[in-house]
Amino acid sequence: MSRNRRPSKQMLMLLEALSARAQQWRHGYDLMKETGLLSGTLYPLLMRMADQGLIEAEWREPAQPGRPARHAYRLTAAGLAFALAQAAAEAPQPSRIALA
Amino acid sequence: MMAALSKAIMSLTIACLGESRREWALAMQGEFEAAIEDGASFPFATGCLIAAWREMPKHPDGRFALASYVLALGVLVPMAALQFACAMNFPSLFAGTGMLGALDTGAARVPYLASAQISAVPVLLLLWLSLGLAHLRLAWLLVEQDWSRAFNVGALTAAATVTFFLFAETLRLNSAPLMLQAGTLGIELFALSAAARWHRRITASLQYELSTCTGG
Repeated sequence: MSRNRRPSKQMLMLLEALSARAQQWRHGYDLMKETGLLSGTLYPLLMRMADQGLIEAEWREPAQPGRPARHAYRLTAAGLAFALAQAAAEAPQPSRIALA
Repeated sequence: MMAALSKAIMSLTIACLGESRREWALAMQGEFEAAIEDGASFPFATGCLIAAWREMPKHPDGRFALASYVLALGVLVPMAALQFACAMNFPSLFAGTGMLGALDTGAARVPYLASAQISAVPVLLLLWLSLGLAHLRLAWLLVEQDWSRAFNVGALTAAATVTFFLFAETLRLNSAPLMLQAGTLGIELFALSAAARWHRRITASLQYELSTCTGG
């Protein structure tokens, strides 16, 4: 539904961060630090992307005992295809470069 | 101090996200520990709360939570304040509709009953104050979604209003404000009953979704 709309700048940043290491599971706080997004922006984006099937999430055991389990995210195949398509759309067109 | 405030904000966030987003609430809670280690617990918790508020209108249980807060804070708490104000006859806005207003009108109508009316003041005052307290309790139970207790308090409030009305009529007091009060209480109880039905539907739908997700 909303995938037909052009993604927001924040969503593009998140897609870029997730697609840079597409096979790796990433924690929310690490994504915040990497993209510079605030939690109030990141989590609604993650929720929407999970609802759209762009990312998958799984629970990871805590690194230290006594800590809560952490949610980790990575792009699904559809999410990776979408991220690559967006990256291609954002990249400068060759004909324009030639004209310039 | 800041850590305690951040934890309180996270608790509020988890409550706001509701059952349909429980997993995301736990995800935020898990990352909150990382934010504490990083010394950024307050901005993280505040951001999560903003995210939860943005999510609330998108889901049935979030919409229900918003509606119940509107009903509690926008109707029941002001009604409780009005009851206290009427009992104390404090603001001039309610002059003639509060306790003294009722007594003034009653005494003017039947001067022979004036002493009986004056002696009934403590009981009437207690009844009116209990109506105010009952409204506050109703607001709390609505937000807590404790429907059986809410209906008990609603029934007690209705009984107190009827008792007040009988007292007022027996003592020939001005019962016009009580009629208004009874009408408002009827609307409140109807709204409470509608909220309970709405909540039951949401709970049933969430349980159905959960059972289909787990294949049970």
